[in-house]
Formats: sequence, structure tokens, C-alpha cells
Amino acid sequence: MAPLREIKRKIGAVKKTKQITKAMNMVASAKLRGAQQRIERFRPYAEKYSEILMDLSARVDASIHPLLEKRAEIKTVGIILITSDKGLCGSFNVNLSNTALRLTKQKKEEGKEVKLFCVGKKARNFFRVRKYEIEESYPDVMNNFDFQLASDIGSKMNEMYLNGELDEVHVVFAEFVSMARQLPQSSQLLPVQQDEKAVQEEPTSEYIFEPSMEGLLAEILPRFIKVQIYRGLLDTSASEHAARMTAMDNATKNCDEMVGQLTLVYNKARQTAITSELMDIVGGAEALKQG
Amino acid sequence: MSAQNTGKIVQVIANVVDLEFPEGKLPFIYNAVTVTNPTISDEKENLVVEVVQHLGNNVVRTIAMDSTDGLVRGMVGTDTGQPITVPVGKPTLGRILNVVGRPVDEKGPIKADKFYPIHRPAPSFIDQSTKIEILETGVKVIDLLIPFPKGGKMGMFGGAGVGKTVVLMEMINNIAKQHGGISVFAGVGERTREGNDLYHEMIAAGVIDKAVLIYGQMNEPPGARARVGLTALTAAEYYRDEENQDVLLFIDNIFRFTQAGTEVSALLGRMPSAVGYQPTLGTDLGALQERITSTTKGSITSVQAIYVPADDLTDPSPATTFSHLDGTIVLSRQIAELGIYPAVDPLDSTSRVLDPNVISPEHYGVAREVQMTLQKYTDLQDIIAILGMDELSDEDKLTVTRARKIQRFLSQPFHVAEVFTGKAGRYVKIEDTIRGFREILDGKHDDIPEGAFYMVGGIEEVLEKAKED
Repeated sequence: MAPLREIKRKIGAVKKTKQITKAMNMVASAKLRGAQQRIERFRPYAEKYSEILMDLSARVDASIHPLLEKRAEIKTVGIILITSDKGLCGSFNVNLSNTALRLTKQKKEEGKEVKLFCVGKKARNFFRVRKYEIEESYPDVMNNFDFQLASDIGSKMNEMYLNGELDEVHVVFAEFVSMARQLPQSSQLLPVQQDEKAVQEEPTSEYIFEPSMEGLLAEILPRFIKVQIYRGLLDTSASEHAARMTAMDNATKNCDEMVGQLTLVYNKARQTAITSELMDIVGGAEALKQG
Repeated sequence: MSAQNTGKIVQVIANVVDLEFPEGKLPFIYNAVTVTNPTISDEKENLVVEVVQHLGNNVVRTIAMDSTDGLVRGMVGTDTGQPITVPVGKPTLGRILNVVGRPVDEKGPIKADKFYPIHRPAPSFIDQSTKIEILETGVKVIDLLIPFPKGGKMGMFGGAGVGKTVVLMEMINNIAKQHGGISVFAGVGERTREGNDLYHEMIAAGVIDKAVLIYGQMNEPPGARARVGLTALTAAEYYRDEENQDVLLFIDNIFRFTQAGTEVSALLGRMPSAVGYQPTLGTDLGALQERITSTTKGSITSVQAIYVPADDLTDPSPATTFSHLDGTIVLSRQIAELGIYPAVDPLDSTSRVLDPNVISPEHYGVAREVQMTLQKYTDLQDIIAILGMDELSDEDKLTVTRARKIQRFLSQPFHVAEVFTGKAGRYVKIEDTIRGFREILDGKHDDIPEGAFYMVGGIEEVLEKAKED
């Protein structure tokens, strides 16, 4: 019977798919361990860095350094979107891309020009399909990157910002909260936001600047951008693997379920075929006996 | 008849009766023999049996058209010298007949001057009509994907309880009530209640005087069910051949005809063939189906419901019927389970006239595109089941959402199902149907939630429904 073979073929196909999803799940979990370690080691540094910078910048007037200064008229907004290069991680990339898309639309409605910087293939593809112009994309980097990448992007942002090509820079990335939770986040990189609360409060401790406040900020501010971008990259990378793990785990479960259902169908079809063949034989034999 | 040819009953097995006739006076095959069976009624000659086999030793084997309870050996049977004949023409209009042409509506005898035998040859090749014209049914899915040819044969395949009869009744409602000509309805082995309902509905709609109802329902013995289709066909043929009319013939359910054949086949001593069907399955069905055809004089447009045992379309009975039809409407359980009625399977159903030479190029294009979109959706379903919607490309996601909308838009509230759905029935013109699907395919309604497409008439109603929500 043709349907029988058909069902069997399908069961085979689903089982093979299951092997793949299972393997991907394991690969993702192995990679996640590394990525998780990296972000967990880096995060305290990034947080402390940000804390110090906030504390510092709260003491000074924004006009002291161009990266701090809010421009009166904002014409062009840069958005850095960090996604993965590979798919098969559920709604991870779609959620990230949509967060960026919403931000883009919002800025456009405010009459601003948006320049997109896409890290990861999925970000590029997302905006390319929607016919958005992409200023620069960095595909195939998420698998293996170091601080150099963040440094490159950061330098570019600083440069463009100081040139006046950009008046504001945002970064969209996935914050790795836990294995089961990855939050798409968007935060403003440039101009560096001063902590309003810290400004009002009295500084907790006194600092002596050596050599000078300006010199220090000139060093620390550009680096801050790079640190933030690096943190975004690490966060996204860990989130990607976590999302893939969950997605592949679900896919494996779905495969199991499908195999179960198909096996049921197969067995029923098989039994029906046997029954009808038996009936044909018995009926024929009976008829011959009578005749 | 001067010298009546009589025989004696020698054996009764269920519905099969053997009679012995005098040497050299055997009735022909298909001849009707009448017997008086006192348990049916007090009338004389009230039981008709039909000769199907000559057994030798002057014994003929017959199938009874009514109950054989009460028959005893030695009873006398009279050869009528001709096959079962039924009254045809005007006097039968508005009446309910049984398989042997006797009225069962308790409205007195039928005074017809014309009688036709129920076994007749199919029209010859040169008489057959080659004209193709489309008949509008007002049902979106049928008009779009399975257009009805006028004078064609359409089959409605479906397992138990997927709504064959409801679709058939809607066809009667939409076509027969608007149709000016004669309609013939054959109830073959289906529920007596439904037959009764139809009769009263036709009276209420005022179309009864243009209709003939011929019933051989579930309660009848297999002989009656195996022949009642022919009786109805004979009635339709009269109008086609003699009065050159366009006739509508509805048969519910052609499978019961085959089933009845199976029931008597074993009693006749024939060896069962595949799945227990009679070995003469193809011949039996061919003899009936080949007569349902349009000639140069008049046309018979027939709509037949065909039960599919165990939802298996490869079962010999539906499989044999397939080849006779101009179009097949396949009702599927999976679609019925989604709550989409009529549960027509848009990918399994076909029509001979879904052809750019017959229908408009626009219609053809939309129909094919709808099928393509739905096919793509079916192909993607496994991926969705395993990996989820998010893994699809944006293009595929759009295909899926449109396919889901199309799927829902293919549902439609029926006039005859108002009591079940609580929604007034909708009749949708072909042009509106085509336009509606065109707009969905073109992505004009991508922003409307798919719920709005469910159980509505035209596309305007979708927009209204979307506005309300």
C-alpha cells in the first residue's frame, strides 16, 4: 500500500530532523557555557566602568567634552543592531530586529535621518528585505570575536559623531538575563548620558584628577563606548546560544510528538491493510467452498 | 396479457427469491415478476421482483424490491414480460415515488400515460453534447476551484459526518430553486427523515411542482436501493429526451447503490472481489453513470453525494466512481476538524472545466494561485510544527498568513445550515468570489486579522467584520 510507505518515509524524515535539532541543542549548550562565562566576567568590569564614568561626568559640565554634549538639533541617528549570524534560534532575532525597527520608525517619525549599523547576518537580512538602507554591516562575526571588533565599531561611532555625521547613537542588543530569559534592549550610547540623579546628589567622595579632568575624560569617554558595545556583543552572543538551546529543545520535543502521532497513523493503516487483505482471502475461500 | 406466464416460488433467501417457470417460458433477465405478499399490504401483486440470473432447471433467481417477509414456497409469481416500468412525465411532478414507480406520498395513484423501463441503454456517442458552460452555485469554494459544468456530473466525496448532505441541500437550494426547469431528487439509502425534510422544504419554497422525488431509503431492502437510482434517472431521461429540457438530478447517496449491490451479490452466489465488493462493481456503476449525460437535445446536470468508507478515497467504490465524473468535490475530515464548513479540500478537489479555455483567464489565474498558496502552506506545515513560525523567512510567513486567510475565507454560511450556525446563508456571485480571493492574494488585506475571514460571504463583509472587532 502506497500510503504506508509514504508515512514511513515521513517518520524517517522527522527522526532525522530530530537528530539534527538534538545535535544543535548540544552544540548550543556547549557554546553557551563559554559565552556565559565571558559575559559574566566582563559584566562587573562594564558596570564598574559605567559607575565611575557616571560619577565623574556628574561633576563636570557637559560642555567639557563633545561626547557628553547634547546637540541642540539632532538630524541623524545611528542605530547599531546586534543579532546572530545563524538562524534556528526561535524568535530571538525577530524580537531584536523588531525592537530596532520600532526605534527606527519612531526616529523617522520625529523627522530624523537614521543610519543603520548591522552586526550579524540576520540584522542585515532583516533590513535588506524591508528595503532599508544599511550604512554598514558586519556579517559573520558573532561566532568568533574579541574586543577588537567592539573597538573598531566604537572608533567608527566616535569618529562619525565628532564629524557631525551622527548626532545620536543607540545600540540594540539582547541582554542575557538567564537561560530562559533574553531581553531585547535598546540604550543610548552617544552622547553619553549623564546620570541625572548623580548630578543632583552630592558626590560621595572626592577625587583628585591627574593630570586633568579634560585629559582623563578624553581617554575614558571613547573607551566607554567600546566597552558598552563589547558588552552588547557578549550579551547577545550568550543570549543567542541560550535562545537556540531552548528553540532546539522545543523542536526536538515537537519531533518526538510528531513521530508518536505518525507511528499511530502508520500502525492503524498497517492494521487496516492486514484486515482487508485477510477479509479478501477468507471471503474468497468461503465463496470457493460454496461454489 | 392473455396467457399469463406464471411461476412458483421454490426458495427464499433473504431478499433473493428463486422461482420455477414452465419449460421454455423463462422470463428474461431484468424482467419484472410480480408476487402477492400479504404481509406488505392487502393489494394484489404488491411485490415486484427482478430477474437477475437463470439458474438452470427452469429456475430463475430474482431480487425483491420490497420485503420478502411472509413469502412461502409455492406462491405464484407472474411474469410481466418487461422490465420494471415507471410512470414518467407531468403527472409525476410534485410526487414522491418508490423504486417501482408507485407513489408513496398518499396522494392517490398516478395517472400517467407514459411508462419507461428503468433499464435503458446509455445515449450513443454521437448524441452526446460537447457544449461546455459554467453553472453558478453561489458557494465560494465550489465556484472558484471546482466550477460546475452545465450538463456535467459532479461528485461530492466525504466520510461519515463531514457534511455531504448539507452541501447537496445547499446546491438544491441555490440551483434548483433558481433553476426554471425540472429537478429530480433520488434518495438512495439515506435517512428517511432527510427525504421528508426536503419534501416539505420544497413545498415551502414553492418548487415542488417542478420536482420529482424518488426515494429508496435506508429502510428499504437492498433490491430497492440497488435500483432506485435507475428509476430516478429514467424520470430525468424522459425530460431530456422527450421534452428537450435541462434537468437537474441530485443523488444522495451513490455509494448506497454500490453497497446494495454488494449486499445482494453474495446472495446471488458471486465471489466477492476486493474489500468484499461485488465483482461486477465497475459494470454496475458504469451502467448507471453512463446514462447520466447530456445529449444534443437536453441536458442532465447531476450532483451526487458519495460516501467514502473510513475516509479512504482509494476504496474501490469511490475510486471507481471518480473516473465517471466531470468534477469531484472532496470533503475532508481535517478541514471539518478546523471548523471550516463546507469542508471542501481545495487541493484534492478538481473539475474538468477548471481550464483557461472554459473559464475566464482571471478566474483560472486566481484559482491556481489560491491552490498554490495553500499547497505551499501545507508544505511548510511540518517546519512550523517542528521549529515554529519564527524560523520561516519573511516571504514564507506572508504566504502562511495569506493561506490561513484564504482557508478561512473558503468557509461560508449556508442557507440550509442556518439552524445549526445561527447565521443567515450567503449566496456569493462568481465575480465577487474571484475578486475577493484576488485581493487576498495581492495582499490588500494583510492587515486584517484572519478571524474576520471566517464564515462570511463576500470580501466586503470581511471588511465590515474587521471594523466591528
